[in-house]
Amino acid sequence: MNIKDVVLIALFAALIAALSLVPPLPLGVVPVPITLQTLGVMLAGALLGPRRGLLAVLLYTLLWLVGLPILPGGRGGFGVLAGPTGGFLVGMIAGAFVIGALVDLLLRRGQTALRQILLYLLSCVIGGVLVVYVFGVPWLALVTGMGFAKALAGSLVFLPGDLVKAVVTSVVATRVARAWPMQLK
Amino acid sequence: MLVEFQDVCVHLHERPVLHDLTLRVSEARVGVIGSNGSGKSTLARLLNGLVRPSRGTVRVDGYDTVQQTREVRRRVGFVFQNPDHQIVLPIVSEDLAFGLKNQGVPRSEHASRVQQVLADMGIEHLAERSALGLSGGEKQLVALAAVLVMRPQLLVFDEPTTLLDLRNRNRLRAILERLEQPVWVVTHDLELLDGYDRVLVLEGGRIVCDAGPREAVQWYRSHCA
Amino acid sequence: MIHSLYVPGASWLHRQPAVVKLGVLMAAGIMLFLLHHPLPLAIAAGLALVLLASARVPLARIWAQTRGLVVLIVALGGVLTLLQGWAATMMVLLRLCALMCLALAVTFTTRSADLIAACERALRPLERRGWANAAKVSLALALALRFMPEIYRRYELIREAQAARGLRAHPVRLIVPLVISVLKSADEIAEAIEARGFPPTRSQDPP
Repeated sequence: MNIKDVVLIALFAALIAALSLVPPLPLGVVPVPITLQTLGVMLAGALLGPRRGLLAVLLYTLLWLVGLPILPGGRGGFGVLAGPTGGFLVGMIAGAFVIGALVDLLLRRGQTALRQILLYLLSCVIGGVLVVYVFGVPWLALVTGMGFAKALAGSLVFLPGDLVKAVVTSVVATRVARAWPMQLK
Repeated sequence: MLVEFQDVCVHLHERPVLHDLTLRVSEARVGVIGSNGSGKSTLARLLNGLVRPSRGTVRVDGYDTVQQTREVRRRVGFVFQNPDHQIVLPIVSEDLAFGLKNQGVPRSEHASRVQQVLADMGIEHLAERSALGLSGGEKQLVALAAVLVMRPQLLVFDEPTTLLDLRNRNRLRAILERLEQPVWVVTHDLELLDGYDRVLVLEGGRIVCDAGPREAVQWYRSHCA
Repeated sequence: MIHSLYVPGASWLHRQPAVVKLGVLMAAGIMLFLLHHPLPLAIAAGLALVLLASARVPLARIWAQTRGLVVLIVALGGVLTLLQGWAATMMVLLRLCALMCLALAVTFTTRSADLIAACERALRPLERRGWANAAKVSLALALALRFMPEIYRRYELIREAQAARGLRAHPVRLIVPLVISVLKSADEIAEAIEARGFPPTRSQDPP
């Protein structure tokens, strides 16, 4: 792990924090303004690769755990783990890793922009949505005593929004990677 | 302090950036000028091993910048153009202590050395401030203090005044003049070089003029403007 | 400057070492999930509430951290009661309350720096095996803290600049330049860190 890696991990952790705190943005397609935290997490995985992406999200997680109010809404601290979103937040650590691993596997220099967007989208949906829900839904079921099926049903309400975020992330990642090629082989 | 370049070539991303540089410099005030892309920033970064020569050797005070990088970095302080990227810790006094920690200076000495450097530069009041709240000029001074606290024997500045307004530029210029160590300055700000001992003009990765400031600036103006 | 949630004070809780508080929190967390009777849970919740109260944290601070959750809990309570009946719902809510109060108590009475120091202690066995590097970890922490407000401000500058050009806020248009600026900065910051002699020689080396 060289200095550049350390800096990237730290800066992306800071980026996720900053994006968590900015006011949600309206997006024509979705009725509710979208928060940008998930985008930050998915971008960390997509642009830094599995290892650095995981460490960036891990660092962000550590920082809100020790009491920095850097979760959306200015929340933070251990209490969040006890709440319904705890599992989803922890799941982001694994999610970033999976996104990074898939991007490493699928993306190559020289692919068309559309193809890259779709491959990023696939990676983000599997890592940023599927993996995160795998952690989040059982935790939700446990904390609320709801039972898995009902927790899943409740969580699916957020799925369209999360898919939109995955699309936005894919477009951003494609544009950034083309302007600043660092990951693509 | 003697700086020697011996047949140095630098290739970055498979592009040649510097060619056949052979140079011996021991002057106290050295300027490096040239148009954008001439290689002057790369030249500056050879001095502390941030850039390694693809061929040839660079020696500072007898130490090879590749084989003995740590020794070189103890002696060479580098001030970058953008102070925002130089201040890496949240509080000013912490950031200054960062270099001391890296050098292995005992923790008990950190506070006094940091205090002294800040006082020398007239910015003791910034010691416990957060980097975020500082003005551009203050940031530049803090970045310089963070380098000076390490007691370098040679200072290299990469375009120190480019991002500053007139008042801060004059302030920095005054500070540069007072520095006791030999100083290399890479700059577009030709007035900064008044009274310098030697000025190198770079063009296309080669030194095309190596003379006193007046002659070099004149050459630069007539060939590169 | 992003301030931690820590609320300065001199209560008994404030004075306990971070490691102890963390340990107790984790143990309590696990134990609470093993309790399946309303009475012990009620006692636990009561104790947790008392503990939190003993820290003398301004109510406004507590509300700021729990307000979103309270809304959720009320809604949840309604749904759960319909689905599972009073008793089950009561237990869920008591458990949640206990967990929340304990967690808040730790967060409000423990400095972030102390919690981080506790984490660093935990990492030391990893360091001995060469899997982690304390200097790099603490640099990463400090860098993240240093640049959080900086990156936030860059976002605001980008948004303002685009608004001034009559562009409506759009995530892609806002985030692409932000990310690129972060990537550019990384290069320069890494250079500056290297130039100042990082990483330090290991402490065993002669100075």
